[in-house]
Amino acid sequence: MKIKEILTEEVKSISSQLTVKEALKVLLEKKISGLPVVDESGKLVGMFTEKEILTAILPGYLGKVGRFIYEENPKSIKNKFKELENLKVKDLMHKDIVTVDEDTAVCEVGHLMLTQKLRVIPILDKDKKLVGIVTREDIIKSYAQEAGWINP
Amino acid sequence: MDKSIIYKFILLFFLLFLVAIIGQNMGFNPQQTLAAIIFSASVFATLLFWDFRLAIAFLGVAILLLTKVIDLENLIKFSSLEVILFLIGMMVLVGLLKEIGFFAWLVTLILRIKKLTAKKFVLAIGILSALLACAVDEVTSIIFMVAAILEICDYFEVDPSPYVIISVLATNIGSTGTVLGNPIGILIASKSGLTFEDFIFKAFPLMLICLFTVLSLVIFWFRKAHKELDKKMQELMDNELFIKLISVPPEKQLQFGLGIFGLTILGIALHHRLELLFKLETNTLLLSIPLISAGLVMIWRHNKARKYIEKDVEWWTLIFFLLLFANAGTLKYTAVTDIIAKGVLNLVKQSHSLLLGLILWISAFGSSILDNVVLVVAFIPIIQSFRDLGLGLQPLWWALLFGGCIGGNITLIGSTANIVALGILEKERKIKINFWRWLAIGFTTSVISISIIWLALLFLPIYR
Repeated sequence: MKIKEILTEEVKSISSQLTVKEALKVLLEKKISGLPVVDESGKLVGMFTEKEILTAILPGYLGKVGRFIYEENPKSIKNKFKELENLKVKDLMHKDIVTVDEDTAVCEVGHLMLTQKLRVIPILDKDKKLVGIVTREDIIKSYAQEAGWINP
Repeated sequence: MDKSIIYKFILLFFLLFLVAIIGQNMGFNPQQTLAAIIFSASVFATLLFWDFRLAIAFLGVAILLLTKVIDLENLIKFSSLEVILFLIGMMVLVGLLKEIGFFAWLVTLILRIKKLTAKKFVLAIGILSALLACAVDEVTSIIFMVAAILEICDYFEVDPSPYVIISVLATNIGSTGTVLGNPIGILIASKSGLTFEDFIFKAFPLMLICLFTVLSLVIFWFRKAHKELDKKMQELMDNELFIKLISVPPEKQLQFGLGIFGLTILGIALHHRLELLFKLETNTLLLSIPLISAGLVMIWRHNKARKYIEKDVEWWTLIFFLLLFANAGTLKYTAVTDIIAKGVLNLVKQSHSLLLGLILWISAFGSSILDNVVLVVAFIPIIQSFRDLGLGLQPLWWALLFGGCIGGNITLIGSTANIVALGILEKERKIKINFWRWLAIGFTTSVISISIIWLALLFLPIYR
């Protein structure tokens, strides 16, 4: 099975000029962990995901300090969340994106998600234009349908 | 390739050419010149391009072998595997301590201080930074201290930068107190035959004197910030809430890990006596105790043994050290350092006191721009050559230790602890400390500390 058969077309992308606040609202409404970001000309320029938000608000030294347990939320999180208000998607998105061609096999995309720790992958057509996104859920669903566990 | 990298390589070749000319003038033979060039290349690489330094060290060692400047046997001997193994052992142990929450537990001690004031806070972070830097490496200790300072300053809504600076100054001073604080400590101990007890009785008290002098100075220096903090503390102090900022569950793991760490420190502290008792070679136990502890840690937590070795050991740095030691050993092997030592002695007109001052101040100012390990590695064979000229070496080793560690306080890039701490401050709080702001406090405290050490080394009989 090819990835183009299962991709989600309706949620396409957000603009890099959108504010982080607006973009976060879109993520929460669509119940999706990340979205592709496009510039004015519609070119894919980055990905905006939940991970970017978490990285921006949590203390960066947490990974280095091992077990540093907070009983209360540190005040810095509130302050950092406030700072996000002034930022646009282009300031926060990650630019080093993994994309796949629409003719890639579903299993290959699933494998990419596992090895690169991705939850959402943008799908491009032959002309490198964004045609949609695929989530982990889409991939598992397609296999579950194939196995007859759920109805199409 | 990036243009700036090409310029830097041109500069590197120019500097190496200069080294060759200076070598010729000092009467080096071709082998000695080559050894000097290869070692200088590693030193300049740490200054000019950090990312290339390991590549340059690899190529340098290969050239030394291929040109028969040194043979394989001596190369291995000079690479000081014992020091590298010691550092690996300690890094594994520190990896465990991080994981079980040891450092977080230490930080909670600050939060429990009753009726906290700005002065008490400065003393607490100063003393804890220094003691922590005595027991584990300075980079691990500074990350925890900065994390704690940022959380506490956030709680009181004050600028954390004075306290981060104080913690860094105390960390670099503290790292002179034992052989564990800084790689140059174990390096000097292993090459000089000084024991942990020597460090405890001679370096530690001098470290404390410098620490308290510097802490009294910073209490005055940052008085405005302390006043602000005092005000906020009166407003917002609620010990119940404050203690909850960071906590550690009292788990058996923590106690067991603490036990292993305590026994390691005790074993290291008593290494000399035990070596005498069991008729072992000097420093055999000092170097093998971290290996025993790391081995026990990896048996206890065998599921994570691979993680400790792969993630907690800083291979990039250690392999560079290994090759750098070998490069510097070649300087000794080809007698380059003997020529330099004679030249230096003529320069100071055979005066021991002048020589002591020279080593102390050069290592201090040198390590304010250079990695102190690079500097100390270059100095060690020169100091060893002074022995052949019939000089008492002990004060010179102490001068090298104190100069190399405390010199790190002079500039904001003086030591890894500075770079790590200021990096966190900039990333987390968008506060960038200006070069001159650092230099003002760093230079002042360093000159005062180094002067104290100079006087002590010159006039106190125990250092002779």
